[in-house]
Amino acid sequence: MASYTESFRFGEFVGSVLWLIFWVVIIFSMVGLPLLFVVLFYVPLPPMGDEVLTPYLFLTMVVDPTRTVPIIKYMIHTDLFRVTAFPGFTYAALLAAVTIYFERKFLAKMQLRIGPLYVGKIEGWLQLMADGLKLISKEIIVPSGADKPIFWAAPIAFVATAAATTALIPVAPGWVVADIDVGMIAVFAIFGFFPLIALLFSWASNSKYPFIGGLRALHQIIAFEIPFIISALSVVILAGSLNLTDITNSQINSYWFVFFLPISAFVFYISSLAELERIPFDLPEAESEIVAGWITETSGMIYGLIQLGTYLKLYALAALFVVFFLGGWSGPVIFPAEIMPGYTGEKIYNPVTLSAAFWFTIKTFGMIVLLLLPRGISPRIRIDILLHTGWYKLIVLAFINMFIALALIYGGILGPGGLLVR
Amino acid sequence: MTGVLHMVDPVFVGLAVMTIGSAIIALETKELIYGAIGLAISMMGIAGFFLLLDAPFVAMFQIAVYVGAVAVLIIFTVMLVRTQALFTTKEDRKRKGAGIALLLFIMGGAGAVLLSSSLNMQNSFTAPPVDFMAIGQEMLTYYAPVLIVLGLTLAGSVIAALALARREDVEQQNDRTN
Repeated sequence: MASYTESFRFGEFVGSVLWLIFWVVIIFSMVGLPLLFVVLFYVPLPPMGDEVLTPYLFLTMVVDPTRTVPIIKYMIHTDLFRVTAFPGFTYAALLAAVTIYFERKFLAKMQLRIGPLYVGKIEGWLQLMADGLKLISKEIIVPSGADKPIFWAAPIAFVATAAATTALIPVAPGWVVADIDVGMIAVFAIFGFFPLIALLFSWASNSKYPFIGGLRALHQIIAFEIPFIISALSVVILAGSLNLTDITNSQINSYWFVFFLPISAFVFYISSLAELERIPFDLPEAESEIVAGWITETSGMIYGLIQLGTYLKLYALAALFVVFFLGGWSGPVIFPAEIMPGYTGEKIYNPVTLSAAFWFTIKTFGMIVLLLLPRGISPRIRIDILLHTGWYKLIVLAFINMFIALALIYGGILGPGGLLVR
Repeated sequence: MTGVLHMVDPVFVGLAVMTIGSAIIALETKELIYGAIGLAISMMGIAGFFLLLDAPFVAMFQIAVYVGAVAVLIIFTVMLVRTQALFTTKEDRKRKGAGIALLLFIMGGAGAVLLSSSLNMQNSFTAPPVDFMAIGQEMLTYYAPVLIVLGLTLAGSVIAALALARREDVEQQNDRTN
């Protein structure tokens, strides 16, 4: 049990907190407020949409918060908001956080355990915050003989690569960070960085278990990259475009591609599991064989960053499955046309966008649950069976569905002017 | 036109510095791993040039193939090789100078050829863009025999590679039984 130091007095603790508050107030009123006024009156402020932000408008906003509405309207349609908040990082990271908590509770229920229970009173819902605090306060240990620049750079590169993938995913009509014509190729080009990062990090750790894990990750990801791309190619054949928004729209115009390409969807799902290094394909992190695989030497926030990257990647792959096979954001409009009677909430509230994002989130979360499911029920498979599955079976299966897709196009059932195109 | 050039210039210069700088690192560094990483970064710089030239498709394949596959292969090989055995000869100043002179000569020659060619003319930029549909149709009609020969060659080499890999496997099994 943890014990306090002998000189600990509760009164001193309260006193130190009060002392801190006193200094914050003093510094804010002596330095912060004058600085704020200097900035407001001497630095020309940028125009926010229709209104020019004057110091007087700013001070009125502090008193009357409804005056900030036009500024919010302007802000949520900027690129910065897209990258940082909605289809970009915050949305993906929030979904990833929910996933981590849900995974622990879900697996516990599957295996008749309890899971996180104490932190936050109700079912341990603050467990993630506690874990995050613990990781931040832990010491980062760099192994002796490690290659320091690569050891520090690789976890950051891992998160950055995973976050870059989320930028390409269309969440609602028009709500995508980068709507590029070669979106599908770009996704796979970015995914190609992961084995490189894992290999470099495992080498930089200067330890044998990480290196074995890194080699396994390399073999596994490269073996499953090919069926992965081929299964997505049949989607491209049906949609006639590499743009992810166009792929979604072509499914809204006909039917979800999972009905035409069930084998491709299956191959994509299995390859996603392998790409994510999840059970039953968690050989690179096999904790009963090689400690923790290529992340053995990680500690503190380096481990935290790699976990964040892994869950962002999980979100990205589930979202890609939804975009490719489950019709993206398609679904009925369920939100009312007016946010409250007589007020449409123009530019802030849009029922079409909101329900599109709602359906997309629901479908993606369902896919994430499907990707989590094997962890509760399946053992790890042997590495030769894994490689055999990737190279011999999945590639053939993916090709079969590709020929089905071609037959659908040439038979005039799908494609331009097809029978099933609405 | 000048506005566009002003927009592109810093990006172009940045990409050029990144590509050439990492290429020099790839050649000059004593640590082979850093050399391989420098090669990967240099290839990403080339992909950036393709993006500047409005060819995102080529750029994405440059990243997928060269960074995702070739660089990984090189790094993988480098990790498994003893570096001490590779560098026994020392570089002397004369060879370095000769190398730089040769490089300058080749670059100057290539530049002179490019400047005197029709690429330098103003109207080469206003020519109509290439029609990819037309290229596809030509490939499947007039150039169909060439396409088939290419396909057969590639298929033959893949089958040969498989056969080679298979034979090695058999030999290994024999070794184990002996």
